[in-house]
Amino acid sequence: MASPSLAARRPEILLAVLLSLCLVGLSLQVRRPGGRTAGQAWLLAAVSPFVEGVTALRAGAADVGTWASSRRRLLGANRSLSAEIERLEGELLKLRDAERDKMRLLELFGAQPSPPAGTVPARLIAIESSGPFRTGLLDRGSEGGVRVDGVVVAPGGLVGRVIAVGPRTARLQLLSDKTAAAGVLLPRGARAGVAKGDGKGGIAVEYVPTIEPVEKNDLVVSSGTDGVYPNGLPVGRVSAMTRKSTLFWDIQLEPATDPRRESMVFVLPPVRRADVQGGPAAGERR
Amino acid sequence: MKTLRVAIGLALAVLATLAFGALRFPAPPDLFLLVVASMARGGAVVPALLAGLPAGLIEDALQGPQGLLGLHAFSKILTGYLLATIGARTIVEKPLAVGGLLAGAVLAEAATLTFLLWVLRGDLLAPAPWLLLGRAATTGLLGGALHAASRVPWRQRRDARRRMRLN
Repeated sequence: MASPSLAARRPEILLAVLLSLCLVGLSLQVRRPGGRTAGQAWLLAAVSPFVEGVTALRAGAADVGTWASSRRRLLGANRSLSAEIERLEGELLKLRDAERDKMRLLELFGAQPSPPAGTVPARLIAIESSGPFRTGLLDRGSEGGVRVDGVVVAPGGLVGRVIAVGPRTARLQLLSDKTAAAGVLLPRGARAGVAKGDGKGGIAVEYVPTIEPVEKNDLVVSSGTDGVYPNGLPVGRVSAMTRKSTLFWDIQLEPATDPRRESMVFVLPPVRRADVQGGPAAGERR
Repeated sequence: MKTLRVAIGLALAVLATLAFGALRFPAPPDLFLLVVASMARGGAVVPALLAGLPAGLIEDALQGPQGLLGLHAFSKILTGYLLATIGARTIVEKPLAVGGLLAGAVLAEAATLTFLLWVLRGDLLAPAPWLLLGRAATTGLLGGALHAASRVPWRQRRDARRRMRLN
């Protein structure tokens, strides 16, 4: 009597199997903040009560002498880290000054920086939008010298980055994609922030303190600290800003380029990680 | 035969999606959903599920986020099941009703995707409402029009014209 009911349930069983396969596949691919996949995160969440119990037991049995030596070690590490932070802040200030001087000299002499070796011109042949995702298709691929993480720019400024490369085509993630992010610099005081796509064609800048002066029409450029985009490329102009909370501005940017109107773009070679001056990795929020 | 229909439908959907992208169409219809919906006609659950899997995977490869295969496959399988279940319980024949059902399916699929992304990634990535409504409207219109065209007795009309010519 069991087999007819099982046969009648065949579509539901197939549905459950297919959906489970998709979920398992997705959980193995999705990376959560911190570099773990969602599957790993769920597994960790399931075993965390056990791990927490063991850790608490171990912490309870810890020796006072160990605590004292740990404290000594931590104080030493704290001191050396503070010194390192001071040194890095000094270097950062020097680099910002050097960047400002470079821009001033370029302005004075009317010089234009030449594109880096390996820059490839390409046609932006299609723009795809699916929900919050914004991607484009280039008519050049690996045979034309395009590489994954290549930076796509238009005459107006930054367009996005290459995320997949075929022999003759390449897919790029636009800056307005909701999962895209880039480190940026604001012109007044060279304050760093994070630009994120809003999935609707615009860009928002986050983590800029409200004590920082921001004006409409300010040109925001890439900071080069994210390890994906080089510095100095126009990202957009400030179109609106509101006080999101007491700490940070909520800044909206008018993108420097409208990919829908660009047919010709340039693909710069990927930024080498060793060239990065420091700061959090960006480019993809996942 | 059904496999061939799905393969041809998906190939056409890929080409047309790329064409809409090349034309910078702001709210292109969900052509992959139309393929799944065509298999779900008359309440055929299993063909709808089996069409939903490749349709979703191809859509993931074409439009989905980087390196995330299975997102649209999940939503397409679920939407295919819903459409087939509705088709098995009610008779949806009028093109307007078919269009409305497809527009609703687009909204349901968007809700599924948003929920799935929230579960997997922990952040709410909702699509822009006006773009979503535009996509639902274009999908409904195109689906309704295709359904209306499929109901026209083309062969009988051609035979009638031939008979008139002979007489």
